[in-house]
Amino acid sequence: MMEQIAFYSMAGLAVVSALAVVTLRNTVHCALFLGLSLAGVAGIFGVLGADFLFASQILIYVGGIAVLMIFAVMLMGRASDLTLRQVNQEWLAALLVCAITAAGLLRGAKAYLGSVAAGAPAPSTKPLGRLMLGDYVLPFELISLVLTAALLGAIFFTRKETLPSGGGK
Amino acid sequence: MTLAHYIALGAVLFVIGIFGALTRRSVIGILMSIELMFNAANINLAAFNRYLHPEGVAGQAFALFIMTVAAAEVVVGLALVLAIYRNWDKTYMENINLLKG
Repeated sequence: MMEQIAFYSMAGLAVVSALAVVTLRNTVHCALFLGLSLAGVAGIFGVLGADFLFASQILIYVGGIAVLMIFAVMLMGRASDLTLRQVNQEWLAALLVCAITAAGLLRGAKAYLGSVAAGAPAPSTKPLGRLMLGDYVLPFELISLVLTAALLGAIFFTRKETLPSGGGK
Repeated sequence: MTLAHYIALGAVLFVIGIFGALTRRSVIGILMSIELMFNAANINLAAFNRYLHPEGVAGQAFALFIMTVAAAEVVVGLALVLAIYRNWDKTYMENINLLKG
């Protein structure tokens, strides 16, 4: 019973705020609702018993990406954005695409209606650490390389184009 | 709670993300919708891990990798958007049409 209450409240939070993200006109509100939706997904991870994913979802998404989005919106926003429509002309075709995709995905989900969880979830932080430094050590190192590349790319793209002082150009 | 509930939730979130990515006019709105799609995939990975392979944590490890890649993607994406805004003063998708021909 407790699991049902937690699942439906968190799923409702995630879905309703996701709808707000894609439909609202004010982009700052969209970014705030994105944070709320990501927090709802973190709650779903909690219901699933994935404790480390729950913590990292809060840390990375709610604390990092959503805040970064809010910063970007505030850096690039204009007062005129509030009066312009934020949805383009093809929303009817997009709705059709979404309906077809949803029908297919939900039809696939129906195959798992009889699948129930076996036993209580176990803590996952220790096995995750062992996996990351055991079998998955190569992807783990590669992902740190990806992060470094992303950091360098962000600095490269956003720096000011300054001419070298005293140079010929 | 069966596995179908979680897959249905992931499907609904993914479809909302697709709708946003197809219809939003501002680049930041599209990036936000892409984040929603990443989250839907993560829900599916964690749910499959819990219901079909409860003895291991490989699904959660993949979800962690996706989170990291999503963080890298959004950082580079926002940097690109900021560079476009600085150089051309454009934030709406239909105005960024230099290569349209």
